[in-house]
Amino acid sequence: MQATTQTKTKYLQAYEKQMNMCIRCAYCFEQCPVIKEVQWDTDGARGKVILSYGLLTGELKPSQYIADKVFRCTFCRDCLDKCPSKIDILKIIENARAELVNAGFASDTHNYIIQNIKKTGNIYGDTEVIFQTQEGTTPLFIGCQYLGRPNKTKKYIKILEKLGIKPLVHEEICCGFPMEVLGFKEDYEDHKQEFKKKFPHDTAITFCPTCTVFLNEGHNIPAKHVLQVILEKLPKANLNMKVTFHDPCDFSRGLKIIDEPRKILEKLGVDIIEMKHTKQNSRCCGGGGGILMTDQALSNDIAKKRIREALDTGVDTLVTSCPTCETTLKKAAQEIAESEGKSISVRNIEDIIWMGLKHAETP
Amino acid sequence: MNLDHQKLREIVGEENIRDNIADLYVYGSDASVHSKLPDIVIRPGSIVEVQKIMKYANENKIPVVPRGAGSGMSGQTVPLSGGIVLDMKQMNNIIEIRPEDVLCKVEPGVINDELNQVLKPYGFFFPPTPSSGKICTIGGMIGTNASGNRSVKYGATRDAILGMKVVLANGDLVTLGSNTKVDSSGYQLAKLMVGSEGTLGIVVEATLQISPIPKIRAMGVANFNTLEDAGNMISQTIAQGITPSMLELMDNIAITAVNNAQGLNLPNVAAIVIFECNGMIKETVEYEIHQIKEICKNNNGAGVKITDDEQEMTILYSGRKKLFPSLSKYGEGLYTTALADDMAVPMSKIADTVKKIHTIAKKHDVVMSAYGHCGAGLIHTKILMDTTKQTQWQGAKKAVKEIYDYVHSIGGTTSGEHGIGFSKGPAFKREKQDSLEMMRAIKKALDPNNILNPQKLMDSPNDWLTATPLRYQITQ
Repeated sequence: MQATTQTKTKYLQAYEKQMNMCIRCAYCFEQCPVIKEVQWDTDGARGKVILSYGLLTGELKPSQYIADKVFRCTFCRDCLDKCPSKIDILKIIENARAELVNAGFASDTHNYIIQNIKKTGNIYGDTEVIFQTQEGTTPLFIGCQYLGRPNKTKKYIKILEKLGIKPLVHEEICCGFPMEVLGFKEDYEDHKQEFKKKFPHDTAITFCPTCTVFLNEGHNIPAKHVLQVILEKLPKANLNMKVTFHDPCDFSRGLKIIDEPRKILEKLGVDIIEMKHTKQNSRCCGGGGGILMTDQALSNDIAKKRIREALDTGVDTLVTSCPTCETTLKKAAQEIAESEGKSISVRNIEDIIWMGLKHAETP
Repeated sequence: MNLDHQKLREIVGEENIRDNIADLYVYGSDASVHSKLPDIVIRPGSIVEVQKIMKYANENKIPVVPRGAGSGMSGQTVPLSGGIVLDMKQMNNIIEIRPEDVLCKVEPGVINDELNQVLKPYGFFFPPTPSSGKICTIGGMIGTNASGNRSVKYGATRDAILGMKVVLANGDLVTLGSNTKVDSSGYQLAKLMVGSEGTLGIVVEATLQISPIPKIRAMGVANFNTLEDAGNMISQTIAQGITPSMLELMDNIAITAVNNAQGLNLPNVAAIVIFECNGMIKETVEYEIHQIKEICKNNNGAGVKITDDEQEMTILYSGRKKLFPSLSKYGEGLYTTALADDMAVPMSKIADTVKKIHTIAKKHDVVMSAYGHCGAGLIHTKILMDTTKQTQWQGAKKAVKEIYDYVHSIGGTTSGEHGIGFSKGPAFKREKQDSLEMMRAIKKALDPNNILNPQKLMDSPNDWLTATPLRYQITQ
């Protein structure tokens, strides 16, 4: 038995107890999209916790190699569900990332995005990416992903207006989630203050699942996702479609929103054929946690696995409710269609809702 | 260690070799308390690759430790002598399913639950059901002779092994066992490999006996205010000739832990017993489950509930399913350590053993739970303690020794299903002192250079506490 000297780390120290609670049972292997794809223990959730522990104790020194492993996570939240000790694995990974960034191992692409947010308030580094302000009664937080997809945003706003909701739209800055998740904690602390000034509301409707989670968890704003609001007011329609639904991780595991999109589709006359892994147990699209910027091949492999599950349902349309999922899954579907000749169309739920409203049954 | 990395790269390819300190650090531990770095981690993808690796390792006297999910609790996959860790997870093909012969053939990296998902459409399942079934590999189950909650009816992995292909220490490939349920043809070497913890050969294919999925299932639960009542209920159930498919006990510490970790609302009693019966005939299952219900009542069981509703059965069993890792939530500053974790005792001694465990734990200022597949005589325990304190480790060491001395004194055995590794080495060597030389002779015959998972089982160090650096920070 050897007594080791405790090393002080800036961020991980606070998670020492959590890491001691991890008994390394590997239950987090069950559906971790990274280890399922890569098949190396180091790359899975348990591996990242062990690496974090090594950084904490000083048995491991920060390195580019360790950074590559710790940043190889989609933040799909499945490990949080599977961990029987309910350890906050993602917080440990997030803080290990902060240690690594602090030690100079941030990736260029992540750094670029963070600098963009600091300079312009959004991930694109483009001051022109703003949305037309409008007066209203319900504060709307659009978020970077939807600011970069103005047609989708317009569609959602029109849907809300058709349902009698008047969204209040004004200039906004990124919620700060990329700073937090990519390990730029000091930048986030400054940004958080700025965010409060720019978004001084105590309630919000949001479009992006990740922003919704982060407004709730990071800013303590009880934000509602737009689908929760839409469900309350949506009229019935009969689109006579058959689709499968992909639950975004931040939706089903983060916000525990599982029934709402299904009830919306049901109201619109859309049948859902569920995939093998669905709802709380849904598989990741491969697009989260910053992996899309640093490990596109892995992200794509994970997305293709999901598309294959969708193809197994026999339907020709996959519907989802997250712009990142839509992007990664569309790319994977296209590649599978080209290489294997099996095709499935990937659509965001707002398209279906918009279509439904056009065909809505008049009361 | 003088390893020819280039030669190994040529065997399995660059993408299947890792030797960065970060990988070695991760592969240096499992769910036990120990840690020791390997020199290299290799991921073979075929039998031929395993043969080439073993031939090279044998010629150069390099230790080789096979590893599945790395979820073992006794340090089986901790490479005490360094060398090569063979990560077998990539060899995960289901080779064939033969329902007509009631068997299947798989590679060692197949995950237990994934095999069962594939078997399900055929109407079959692989009976050993460890709590870690969703992540543990068949190879790991063979290594430790894993069993799980259905062992009371179906036995352990050894009972479900018909044959296997094994790569020996020198790289030779041998086929052991047969494709038949009975086999009287000489030494049962396939069975010998089960529970050998990678010390005799590398299992590269296994022939498994499968069972038809029972059509009818019912489950029940009963609460007991004394451990004696719970123990008597278990003992009487088995003695009356009832064959439950599950008979599980949870003590009060285990109950508190799952309530804290899983947010369950289990009653605060001395023990809960969960039981299940299954079969093909409804009347038989109903008869047996009601018989157990009566035995519960006769032994002062309270809150007795039986159900055949799938959802209710899942809820009933959810606490037990995730109990081991939930123990970390028992109390602030107490962390779960996998020590003295799976002794088996004669059925009539279950209650006495559980009480003895609690007494010894109190004496040495640690917390110990007792739970497990008591219908098979198996008791799981874990030591909960402040792992940052030297004194706690010393107390744990004394508790472990005293508990095993008691278990041996009543005719029990050191490990029921997790295996020995080296955490349980000292107790195992005391228990099996008469046969250690026989085991060493077998080991020497099959592995003369002692490269296969050395320093485990009969060759494990005499003091588990100082055998490796512990994977915890000890600061006080």
